[in-house]
Amino acid sequence: MLDVNINKQLPHFLLDIAFQVEDEILVLFGPSGAGKTTILNIIAGLEHPDTGHILLNERSFFQNGHKPLPTQKRNVGYLFQDYALFPHMTVAHNIAYGVDKKAQAEASLLINQLVEVLGIPHLLPKYPHQISGGEKQRVALARALATAPSLLLLDEPLSALDRETRLECQKELLRLHQIWKIPFIIVTHDLDEAKKLGDRILFLEHGAVRTNR
Amino acid sequence: MKRTFRFLILLCVMLIPLGCSNDNPSSPETEKQPDPVQEVELMISAAASLTDALDEMKPLFESEHPDVSLKFNFGSSGKLAQMITQGAPADVFLSASEKDMNTLQDNNLIIEETRSHFTENELVLITNKENPVSLTSFEEIDAATVEHFSIGEPESVPVGRYTKEMLEHLGLWTSLQNNLVFGSDVRQVLTHVEMGNTEIGVVYASDAQISPKVKVIATADADWHEPIVYPGAVVSESLHVEEAKQFLTFLTGDEGKTILQKYGFK
Amino acid sequence: MNGTDYTPLLLSLKVAGISTVIVFVLGVFFAHVFARRTFFGKGVIESLFLLPLVLPPTVVGFGLLILFGKKGWIGSWLLNWFDIQIVFTWIGAVIASIVVSFPLMYQSAVAAFENLDTRLENAARTMGASEWRVFWTISFRLAWPGLLAGLVLSFARGLGEFGATLMLAGYIPGKTDTIPMAIYFAVESGQMEKATFWVVIIVALGFSTIMWLNWWSRRNMRRYKNDVG
Repeated sequence: MLDVNINKQLPHFLLDIAFQVEDEILVLFGPSGAGKTTILNIIAGLEHPDTGHILLNERSFFQNGHKPLPTQKRNVGYLFQDYALFPHMTVAHNIAYGVDKKAQAEASLLINQLVEVLGIPHLLPKYPHQISGGEKQRVALARALATAPSLLLLDEPLSALDRETRLECQKELLRLHQIWKIPFIIVTHDLDEAKKLGDRILFLEHGAVRTNR
Repeated sequence: MKRTFRFLILLCVMLIPLGCSNDNPSSPETEKQPDPVQEVELMISAAASLTDALDEMKPLFESEHPDVSLKFNFGSSGKLAQMITQGAPADVFLSASEKDMNTLQDNNLIIEETRSHFTENELVLITNKENPVSLTSFEEIDAATVEHFSIGEPESVPVGRYTKEMLEHLGLWTSLQNNLVFGSDVRQVLTHVEMGNTEIGVVYASDAQISPKVKVIATADADWHEPIVYPGAVVSESLHVEEAKQFLTFLTGDEGKTILQKYGFK
Repeated sequence: MNGTDYTPLLLSLKVAGISTVIVFVLGVFFAHVFARRTFFGKGVIESLFLLPLVLPPTVVGFGLLILFGKKGWIGSWLLNWFDIQIVFTWIGAVIASIVVSFPLMYQSAVAAFENLDTRLENAARTMGASEWRVFWTISFRLAWPGLLAGLVLSFARGLGEFGATLMLAGYIPGKTDTIPMAIYFAVESGQMEKATFWVVIIVALGFSTIMWLNWWSRRNMRRYKNDVG
């Protein structure tokens, strides 16, 4: 379970939010500039809150008066907006990037399974600039899950896709969540998508929760 | 009616400046008139080593010749000769080497009969004043005790050419090969000794004279190298030959000699 | 030209080569540390870094003499403790070359790192990569075209360095006579044939280095293009 309770002064408003996520899909919904991406960055440890706490399965990521746990040790999967695939590496290398060299044998099993589930074995030798948007999204998903994270953060995972691919990928995400059974936090500004994907939706505005459904 | 009146006022206002300028007519012109003699400006192209001496001569000469004012163009003799060849304005050429003066003479760029040696210079062995070496003469220089010895580059810098002749005459040139550091001009040789990067160096007596940070160990005998003479001459293109000759006379006269000696020339 | 002494060529390559390696490491390090950070005094330090670019070579050379001369602050210390002499040695030429080419490397490297997409580095971090691994496998690789441009510029600048070198390393035939020095003194002493020979060599060297860089970047740039999204 993820327990988040954070405060952070942003240039235009105060980010003040508290929520808990079980092994479910939580959608952070709101207009752009509502602080959604900042929340993901704070959970991932790329930014830090002013005060508050973040706990994942009893492990402390952040706590007042303590040094924040570095990103590298949080074991959080993060699907960036526009995917942030490494342009100079093949798809295979992108996916295997986060895999510990010593645990290669176990990991390759996981990667094979992931690649099969996402239907991307034929993409492995290609470079990111040679594949389509939908393909990139799958590769990025595979990459984020290859480290066997205990939490997956997704920032606008479907916004770059055309309508058809988007519907397909929504199913894909739901299916993956069924298999993985870890907390997913999805950021989106598309209400239909939020309703379709989310077990719960947090409506954000100016850094605070508006209504809880 | 009112409009015409306004127009008249405007006209008057516009005329005021004209009136003003007519009130005190031509005061600058009247000042100039009692001075019909044109002031002559002499351009002296001189070797850089003469800078201080010539700067001291300037007010003296100008007070004796009120109608002449001096302008200097200092540089290395080779460069100045080149400039004169290419038509740069100059009335007098004061060179630190005969070679460059000969080049001009061969091309008829100087008036031959005005050419004369106005001074001489000597080579001196110098060391740093605060960290002197224990040498007392050129003959004592030894590759084993002196690590770095700065001299002018022998092919391109006149002082280097004389230094090489001298070292060859003393039989030191070959044995010192690994200790020599070549400077691109006399100033650099001086800097190396002043900063203590080379223990000794060879420069003109006049250069050693003006540096407070170096000490002269020894002066080279005149017959160890070609004489270091400073030839001067009036440039053929000069429009003020008379005044130029006056300046050369002044330079070789008592006043000129005294000042040159004060700055280390012979 | 029979019996040409090739030491200036070898010495120039040695001096420019060694200085380029050092400048590359220093430039990349400082650029990476400074590129995305702001702190008090950063502007002052950066101005100091770039100063040799605008100062006349003789001023740089004089400053280096004050630092590295036998009686200089660093020079005397090196001499007393390690018996290393800088003035009038090829090491002096390397130092002069480092100082004048560092600004070029630093500027290229800062631009290269500033243009990187931080999300790529952050993505690597979320996958557990250490800071060193992020730098080596992501930042450095993606900044490489810019870094290479800086490297080539630094090498070319080092190859052509004259003014500061002449002051710090002096002119000692066979020991510190790099190609630019050989050219200068050949011209000054009227040996035009010798001067022309070295001019042709150094122009060919500089030209081919820059040609090679252009060719290389046209061939490889596409792979480095950051086409996320």
